[in-house]
Amino acid sequence: MKILVCISVVPDTTSKITLDSSNTHINSEGLTFIVGPYDDYALSRAIEIKEQNQAELVVLHVGTSDSEALIRKCLALGADSAVRIDTAALDSYQVAQEIIHYTQDKSFDLIMMGKEAIDYNSGIIHALVAHGLGFNHFSPVMHADYDGGQLTLEIETDLGKSKVSSTLPAVLGCQEPIAEWKIPSMRGIMTARTKEIAVIAPSKTNFESQITAHVVETERLQKMIPVENAESLIDILKSENLI
Amino acid sequence: MKNLAIFIDSKNGLITESSKRLLDFASNWSFQNGSESIYVYGFELVSSDMLSTYSSIKQYTHIKIPDLVNHSQVITPLLEEIQQKGISQFFYVKSLLMDTIASSLANKLAIPLISNVLKVEKVSAGFHMTKSVFSGKATLTTEIKSESFLVAFSKSFSMELLSNPGNSSVGQTEITLGKDIQNKLIENHPLTGSIPLPDAAIVVGAGRGFKDPSNWGIVEDLAKELGAATACSKPVSDLNWRPHHEHVGQTGVKIAPKLYIACGISGAIQHLAGVNGSRKIVVINNDSEAPFFKHADYGIVGDVFDVLPRLLNKLKSH
Ligand SMILES: Cc1cc2nc3c(=O)[nH]c(=O)nc-3n(C[C@H](O)[C@H](O)[C@H](O)COP(=O)(O)OP(=O)(O)OC[C@H]3O[C@@H](n4cnc5c(N)ncnc54)[C@H](O)[C@@H]3O)c2cc1C
Ligand SMILES: Nc1ncnc2c1ncn2[C@@H]1O[C@H](COP(=O)(O)O)[C@@H](O)[C@H]1O
Repeated sequence: MKILVCISVVPDTTSKITLDSSNTHINSEGLTFIVGPYDDYALSRAIEIKEQNQAELVVLHVGTSDSEALIRKCLALGADSAVRIDTAALDSYQVAQEIIHYTQDKSFDLIMMGKEAIDYNSGIIHALVAHGLGFNHFSPVMHADYDGGQLTLEIETDLGKSKVSSTLPAVLGCQEPIAEWKIPSMRGIMTARTKEIAVIAPSKTNFESQITAHVVETERLQKMIPVENAESLIDILKSENLI
Repeated sequence: MKNLAIFIDSKNGLITESSKRLLDFASNWSFQNGSESIYVYGFELVSSDMLSTYSSIKQYTHIKIPDLVNHSQVITPLLEEIQQKGISQFFYVKSLLMDTIASSLANKLAIPLISNVLKVEKVSAGFHMTKSVFSGKATLTTEIKSESFLVAFSKSFSMELLSNPGNSSVGQTEITLGKDIQNKLIENHPLTGSIPLPDAAIVVGAGRGFKDPSNWGIVEDLAKELGAATACSKPVSDLNWRPHHEHVGQTGVKIAPKLYIACGISGAIQHLAGVNGSRKIVVINNDSEAPFFKHADYGIVGDVFDVLPRLLNKLKSH
């Protein structure tokens, strides 16, 4: 069995986002980057499934060499090897195309991702990859068990929650409480040093879309209504078609 | 020919609030950008009367789905219809079902899917798409050159009200997607009770300021009057004052309603991470220094036990 986990590298959730001097891009200086929290859940569960099934586990990231330390951390947690597709991740659609291109001829059985990357919040890469490869697709997945060639999953739907069974190959978008986040052991950190991070050229270098503007902190009006006139809030909300 | 399609959501045959906005958007878009016709798709029967007040709508297609496990392999009938109609631009408001269908279409038609969009504009070089990013802490605008695309609007997407109300005679048709034979539904737990939080257009949130679970009546009454869902801060669900699925924030549900009313919540950064995507935020707190006021559109410094009943009375008197 071959498992692939795709990870995003994103600013820590509590980061204050600022712009660089061009006013179009996020200033990455002073930001702490982490493996996407949902991706971390996916990886943790993938490691458990790998151990139960003697599977091979590969971690994939589309991004620049800045992310190597975090990829190394995934190897320390228990992934066998890693692949980095060497291009800046600009957009979920682009990342999905790169993942599809790479995985097409690799016969992975199970691809696990986070339900969404917390930077661009698209929540779409797992679906695009699944449909691109013709794999089964489920997201968000809260529990995943693999036994006797069958996946048993607890998923959220627009209508509530469901328990389903599915066959491989499949792509899962994961969220808590699918597994507990893991901490690398000393031994894991040592062995990770000798594991391979393959760097692969992207399939597409010129992407059709381009970032033209970034605006930080959605502006809020910050209008105060004196408590004596609290009722006037209702009129304001009505006049703005909010209620 | 540049026909466009929108996918709408309805409950018991009635078009949801965000789908009405989508219809407004599509009518304006078609008028401003010279698109020929709008094809509307939905998952229930809806009456043509509800659609006829919008301009340029050609047809409503009821998509029937035989089972709700996974729709990935079974999209062919829809794809054929779309190709036959010459549709090149697609718009919907994010939902799990629609994300699945749209991802499949994006792959089959080889066109980009842009997700979590707040605003779309035509510019000389193509299209500008503004997205909500970093859990609503920022927005990002990208320029797309392609004339064909799928747009997944965020639930809080903005648009001008319909400037050009029309009168369409809407034809009706239906298609049935194929059956998913690989996957099996074992159990279903539909959401019960009130409005599901992630879908709600209006959310009333309450925090530790309410002091005791027995004080939640006023929150529920206000939510009911507004047709809103209720939410809470993490400590409130940790204390079991409210169910866990109501907890919003970094570690909970992320919401993007058009209106969020936060009552007795301090506005910690972890809470904001789940609500930043709201279009407008109202904060009610008795501490004028509460950090939430810096992230509010409208603020009232006052006691929730005084202010909320007054708001409710005012609403009821209308
Ligand atoms: C890793 C991590 C993750 C977290 N994730 C989340 C998360 O997802 N969601 C979340 O919400 N929190 C989260 N937290 C907790 C967060 O930091 C705050 O502690 C929490 O949001 C505070 O909740 P609160 O505002 O309800 O309570 P408090 O901070 O106790 O604030 C209560 C507020 O009510 C006001 N108040 C009191 N009485 C009244 C009254 N009568 N009328 C009006 N106002 C009144 C007070 O002035 C105060 O501002 C997380 C924390 C950590 C460390
Ligand atoms: N640059 C990337 N490289 C590899 N995987 C990614 C990347 N960005 C996102 N992903 C994966 O795709 C999931 C969904 O991302 P998104 O659709 O962008 O919200 C994430 O949770 C990751 O598992």
